[in-house]
Amino acid sequence: MDVPHTVTTALDDQPVAGKRCLEAGAGVGNTTGGLLANGAARVYAVTNDRDHARTTRRRVDGEGGDGGDGGDENGDGANDSDDSDENSGDHGDRLAVLEADLRAIPLPDGSVDLITAHGLCNVLDPASLSTVAEELSRVAAPGAQLVVDDYDPPPDGAAMRELFAVENAASELARGRPALTFYPAAFLRRFFAGHGWEFERERALLEPVPWTESHVSAHADEAADAAASAADGSGGAGDALAATARRLAAEIGSESAGRMYSLAFRRPG
Amino acid sequence: MQTRPLGDTGHDSTVMTFGAIALNWLEQEGANQMVEHVLDYGVNHFDVAPEYGDAELKLGPKLRQHREDIFLGCKTQERTYEGAWRKLDRSLNRLGVDNIDLYQVHGLEYDSELDEITGDDGALAAFREAKEEGLIDHIGLTSHGDPGLILDALDRIDDLESLMFPLNPVVAGKDDEEYDYEAVLARADEKNVGTLGIKAFAGGSWPSTDELPEADRPLANWYRPVTAPDEISDRFDFAAAQGLTSVVSAGDPKLVTMILEAAADYDGMDATAQRSLIERVRHDDSPVPEQLHH
Repeated sequence: MDVPHTVTTALDDQPVAGKRCLEAGAGVGNTTGGLLANGAARVYAVTNDRDHARTTRRRVDGEGGDGGDGGDENGDGANDSDDSDENSGDHGDRLAVLEADLRAIPLPDGSVDLITAHGLCNVLDPASLSTVAEELSRVAAPGAQLVVDDYDPPPDGAAMRELFAVENAASELARGRPALTFYPAAFLRRFFAGHGWEFERERALLEPVPWTESHVSAHADEAADAAASAADGSGGAGDALAATARRLAAEIGSESAGRMYSLAFRRPG
Repeated sequence: MQTRPLGDTGHDSTVMTFGAIALNWLEQEGANQMVEHVLDYGVNHFDVAPEYGDAELKLGPKLRQHREDIFLGCKTQERTYEGAWRKLDRSLNRLGVDNIDLYQVHGLEYDSELDEITGDDGALAAFREAKEEGLIDHIGLTSHGDPGLILDALDRIDDLESLMFPLNPVVAGKDDEEYDYEAVLARADEKNVGTLGIKAFAGGSWPSTDELPEADRPLANWYRPVTAPDEISDRFDFAAAQGLTSVVSAGDPKLVTMILEAAADYDGMDATAQRSLIERVRHDDSPVPEQLHH
């Protein structure tokens, strides 16, 4: 798989080779792929999303060649085991994909040397962020590194702000919490310092952030899904939000706006 | 327009090289105007080949008029000594000039071709004789093939002075060795070999001919190019910011003015903006569904 340059840039000053790594929020496996490519001894890719777990296994672990993997099901859909899955791919012996809640990470205290949270914090509301930070701090070994990559709040006037607002409104209605919270770099820097992490550096990963058509439609889908599940008993608000999300996605198309940053910290000890 | 040293040739090439295949799609009068237009922007490096239809013939008149202002690159797909001599003579005749500044092995694709051109009866033997006779000044090579093969060529051809190969944010976003043209750029820089970037403006391949017959393609390029001015400008900036000596303009004459403008305005590109462009095209192109993040 191709490791995104956002990931390679965030990792290029980090000691990865030979380290026990935790990828907090595996997404589609981009950072997991970067950690393995950089020689991690072991990567625990933790996600509470079964589709993400499956995609990570398939992309990082299961690939022999490249290309042509659009749309295939691989027949591995329903039969995946729920916990760590030791596939026989190139990285099988170094990768464990864990389907778990990051607020209760199934790893012992002090068991990892490097933690990555690439695009994680924005999907955590403040309460969850606090609990997750405690867990990350618990599993970190003395001297461990922490890399936090995320987005500054989109600038005033960015059309994506409106779509994110609709996505959040739908999520609040459906689940009682926002879908996305964009924490400024300065906020997370002080926040993790408050959890005992020594700040090491900040760098810009993307500026502007390219919200492509595929991102825009993925966020519109999220908003519409949440709105649909909120529709009953929302007095029509759910339907209105879904329609607004679709309209905004069509109007926006794509937009380049804002900044994605990378913060690095070290655990004393 | 900015210039950069083309390796050890002693020539400083403008950051844009005019891909003279664009002339093939114009009548002679339009071709003459195009050359004047390109020269007005200060472009001093032109690239042509006998395979580009009538481009050599149409370049001829204005090339002869402005010969001292143009560093002329030409090339041959012939791999043998005889064939290369024949094609060089033909190009000199069609262009109507006494000398070609940079003569290039065109489109190297297979290991066996590298063996052939470097052999006793290979094209490079003809290139070297022609150089001694003053018919060409410098030897180059072009390829859109395997970067490993280009690296081999760089190692095996001691008198190589320039390389032409693809470089754009689509290939920069791919990790496989088959797309590692950055390694070619790095090695060429180490050896002080000039570097010319092609496919900088490639957006993707054309739809299959079943879906879109060749005759219905709206542009003359081999690939589907980006066409909006800001996209052209981003693509030029990206290619030039990788450190290439010069970026070759796209083959369709409709795009040339936009590329000239981009080249004239070039003043670098931040690393964050380069990554933004790589991310943008990666997601446009990605087989992975449902990505909310970068």
